[in-house]
Amino acid sequence: MNQLRWDPTLEEWVAYATHRQDRTFLPPAEYCPLCPTKPGGFPTEVPRESYEIAVFENRFPSFAPDAPEPEEKGSALTPTASGRGVCEVVLYSDEHDATLAGMSEGRIRNLVEVWADRYEELGSLDFVQYVFIFENKGEAIGVTLHHPHGQIYAYPFIPPRPARELRAAREYSSGDRCLHCDLLSQEHEDGRRIVAKGEHFSAFVPFYAHFPYEAHVYARRCIPSIADLNGEERVDLAHLLKRLLVGYDNLFGFSLPYMMVMHQAPTDGEDYRGVAHFHIEFYPPNRTADKLKYLASSETGAGAFIADALPEQTAATLREALESAAP
Amino acid sequence: MTGEPMKKERVPKEDGRYIIFYSFEDEDEKEKVEDSGEDSTS
Repeated sequence: MNQLRWDPTLEEWVAYATHRQDRTFLPPAEYCPLCPTKPGGFPTEVPRESYEIAVFENRFPSFAPDAPEPEEKGSALTPTASGRGVCEVVLYSDEHDATLAGMSEGRIRNLVEVWADRYEELGSLDFVQYVFIFENKGEAIGVTLHHPHGQIYAYPFIPPRPARELRAAREYSSGDRCLHCDLLSQEHEDGRRIVAKGEHFSAFVPFYAHFPYEAHVYARRCIPSIADLNGEERVDLAHLLKRLLVGYDNLFGFSLPYMMVMHQAPTDGEDYRGVAHFHIEFYPPNRTADKLKYLASSETGAGAFIADALPEQTAATLREALESAAP
Repeated sequence: MTGEPMKKERVPKEDGRYIIFYSFEDEDEKEKVEDSGEDSTS
């Protein structure tokens, strides 16, 4: 059952997918459903003995292409809608214990290619308005499978946070300036929160970071989506992601949990040039090696983040972690 | 490390879902070969 219900108090859709209660939860490695199917072994999601990168439709999707109109009709005040969309799982490797940080730049470069392909294919579907590429890593984030993978939600609407960001960028860009380009310029000029710079991408802890070690990876060129990256930019993105992820793992000496999300142009047919600026945001939940930042009452009930550390301090620490991890 | 060309194979699953296999020329291996070639001629 995939159903949307409108929350008129926050003016946003809430998705209901009750079948997800039954999804696989932290199985032992020998029963990992994302590993290749071995001869004589149990059938996994991947009917091959090996693979490089694979993408499949989630067995427990939050949105489904064939979601019917909901039986529950709601009201004029609280309407419902079909949860029509697509949820995909992106398998980064057939090695169960691999992580994105441990992969070669070449593999990450290939993954960029796959992400761009999925953005274009899913975005071309007439019922998809936003292609959201993300990764939840680590049990602290609530992952249910350890095998290295990310996910893609192709939403039938523009989700609230990107919508809010796009609205702000559109208002700002009315003066012919890109909000994100100006933010990036400001970070470059200041320099204190820059974590790493490539030829075509920069990583920094934003001036207004919500999580202590939050990092944003911005394309220098003002492009709406990952599909607009040229070959050199794709190589540089892989290089910078590798540096950042290795630095994250070096920060506290363990594989750091994080949420990784991509913000880019919606696929609703509107023109987002100069408004959407492709970037990736990382939100690690750790504020120290053994303490997590929880989204408690102020963050969840008031929408007001309370941060425990200044971005200038955490950026310096993270930059040091990247530099000391460099070969 | 160009990441190209990419091969894409879409396979239907028994329950109606799909799985897509992406494969690439192994550019990392290429780089290693190129590197070793440079060493041998130096």
